[in-house]
Amino acid sequence: MRAVIAALCVICAAAPAAAQENGDLGRIPQAVENEAAVPPASSAHGKYYVEDDFVLSSARGGLAVALPAPPSSDWANRSSLDAYDQWSLDEDLSFTFSDRFNLTEADGIGFPAEAARNALREAYFTWQPMPETYLEFGRINLKNGIALGFNPTDFFKTRTAVAQASADPSALRGDRLGTLMARAQTIWDGGSATFVYAPKLHTPRPLDGPAPSWIDPSIDQTNTADRLMFALNLEIEEFSPQALVYHESGRTKVGLNISHPIGNSIIAYAEWAGCSEPNLIAQAIAFGKATGTLPAYAPVLPPTSTGRAFRSDLAVGASWTSVAKITLNLEYHFHQGGFSGTDWRNWFDTAAADPPASPLLWYIRGYASDQQQPNSRHQIFWRADWSEALVRNLDLSGIGFVNLTDGSGMVQLAANYDLSDSWSLGLYAGGTYGGRRSEWGSLPNATNAIFQLQRYF
Amino acid sequence: MNRVFLGVALAGLLIAPAHAQSKPPTAQEILVGVDKLRNPGQPFRLTNVLVEYTNGKASNQVMLVVFAKENMQTQQFSNLVRYVAPERDIGKMVLMNGSNMWFYDPSSKVSVRISPQQRLMGQASDGDVVTANLNKDYTAKLLGEETLEDADRKNCDCWHLDLKAASDEAVYSRIEYWVEKGTYHPVKGKFYSDSGRLLKIAYYHKFVEQLGGLRPSETIIIDAVDQNLVTTMTNSDMKAEDIPDSWFQREYLPRVKVD
Repeated sequence: MRAVIAALCVICAAAPAAAQENGDLGRIPQAVENEAAVPPASSAHGKYYVEDDFVLSSARGGLAVALPAPPSSDWANRSSLDAYDQWSLDEDLSFTFSDRFNLTEADGIGFPAEAARNALREAYFTWQPMPETYLEFGRINLKNGIALGFNPTDFFKTRTAVAQASADPSALRGDRLGTLMARAQTIWDGGSATFVYAPKLHTPRPLDGPAPSWIDPSIDQTNTADRLMFALNLEIEEFSPQALVYHESGRTKVGLNISHPIGNSIIAYAEWAGCSEPNLIAQAIAFGKATGTLPAYAPVLPPTSTGRAFRSDLAVGASWTSVAKITLNLEYHFHQGGFSGTDWRNWFDTAAADPPASPLLWYIRGYASDQQQPNSRHQIFWRADWSEALVRNLDLSGIGFVNLTDGSGMVQLAANYDLSDSWSLGLYAGGTYGGRRSEWGSLPNATNAIFQLQRYF
Repeated sequence: MNRVFLGVALAGLLIAPAHAQSKPPTAQEILVGVDKLRNPGQPFRLTNVLVEYTNGKASNQVMLVVFAKENMQTQQFSNLVRYVAPERDIGKMVLMNGSNMWFYDPSSKVSVRISPQQRLMGQASDGDVVTANLNKDYTAKLLGEETLEDADRKNCDCWHLDLKAASDEAVYSRIEYWVEKGTYHPVKGKFYSDSGRLLKIAYYHKFVEQLGGLRPSETIIIDAVDQNLVTTMTNSDMKAEDIPDSWFQREYLPRVKVD
């Protein structure tokens, strides 16, 4: 009898459970049942889009160190045509092309000489003489580094920046000039090896030199020294280490990238490079003299040692992803050749004591920006991404740098919304903060806002 | 990237063999049967089209090409996923090789390491579009036998399984799984987060002959969090392909070609 009752209980319990499960079918829209999936049209390999960025900015008044040339416009509009494609020329031969044409409008920008600018990012051939072995020739955008905010091992980043709407370092890496080089790479099960040779083809263009023609490929920025690089990647115990050796004009750098998952939602990573070289101030002054921007008798200001020493660059951080689709990155950056707290005090004190030295002092900061290296020795970088935030197709993100010496920093918040498969909207707002005598609080740009529209083809 | 994960994982849940047995199989044996149906036993590629329906209307579409190969030592699958459409995502790649996961964007030409948690992002996440061995990743318990309506609203006699994650490779912490008795066809799955929250409900149907087996070509994914969201995932062009092990590392991501 008990068995019968138990069986009845099971049946009675199972029936509602099955009915409840069948209720899930009611959530399937009629359109799903009626329509067969139609593969979306695809151009297979290339990506083409037009973009318009309208920028509003506000200048900071009462700068601690006067700018030699204050900003002439508090607005700008940039229209861009961006193209990336690959073509197979033969079974083992292909050609890659990546280019961006910008047309900028703003007060004080002459049309068309200063307004039009083409950035030939890449144009190179790839030959595959045997499986998983590649030989490449041409302008190649070679990027190394596991970190997001600062990449000590990204040896080919110097002088490659082009006009950008976003201050996000990831955007800077995405849109930059390549270097004319020959690259050989072989990949095997468990690792790969890459060898690069980039020849010197031109003397370096001065930092503040006259604008080149709009079509100039800027070889005098990307190929101004003979450079060699060897990189070895291995897949070892989920650490994915990458060791690098880089040689350029009498200095040899070594570098290392490493990463590892921690649990289900954290990735820890570290990136290091080091070599014997002068500090940032000495490098900038030497470059200014070598390119004729600074006279040979220009003093080294702020006062510093001009000697070489082994200096390290380090970026160490972690990413964490939550169930709510939010990913946070936090990184510490150490740039041993950058400004210490004493260097910053000297930078401001020198300008106060000797105002005519201001252009030289700003030149050093311009050089750091051009080289894409931090100005300061210690800084924090953070990044937050919220995918599918609040509504479908909306991504919210933010990035920021904080100077650990003076507490100043910058922030950029962004909202990107995909209107359709072809149209995207972006809104960026950001600014710098800090005291007058701080790294970020001494910059002329206080706040800015960017309205962005993209149309993909 | 998120949609890629979903497609790969759910695709993996779709292939099982029909084999007659004299005595009732254990829960783990059922899972082995489902794996045999889902996984063709040789390296392969397939095309995956994901269509999102918001409030009943088709909105976003994504097309992916997935390369999958089983590691004979670990019996885990390595997957490479390449975005083919829409335009803004063309050329993006996702590598899932155990817990070694990378995302590559051709625009930045940079590979970013991603965590297992990031497989779950999106309605159809990368973890759903990749192939996986359920028998290796989950411990199964037979909850009972039930008659359930499948996606075509036909009654199916099913085994009702409760799967608990048994390895780091498991995309979900827990899965409820309904498998048709006899055919080992997956009928329905309910996918839960670590906290026990129901994330997705999946229905498998449109079984077609692919690489020597009758495998589901469409999965309907109901978002359990966003009540207005449903995604279909349609597999096609499944074919055997000689895939070297060297493909499954981040340095190969920029090299993947889709003809």
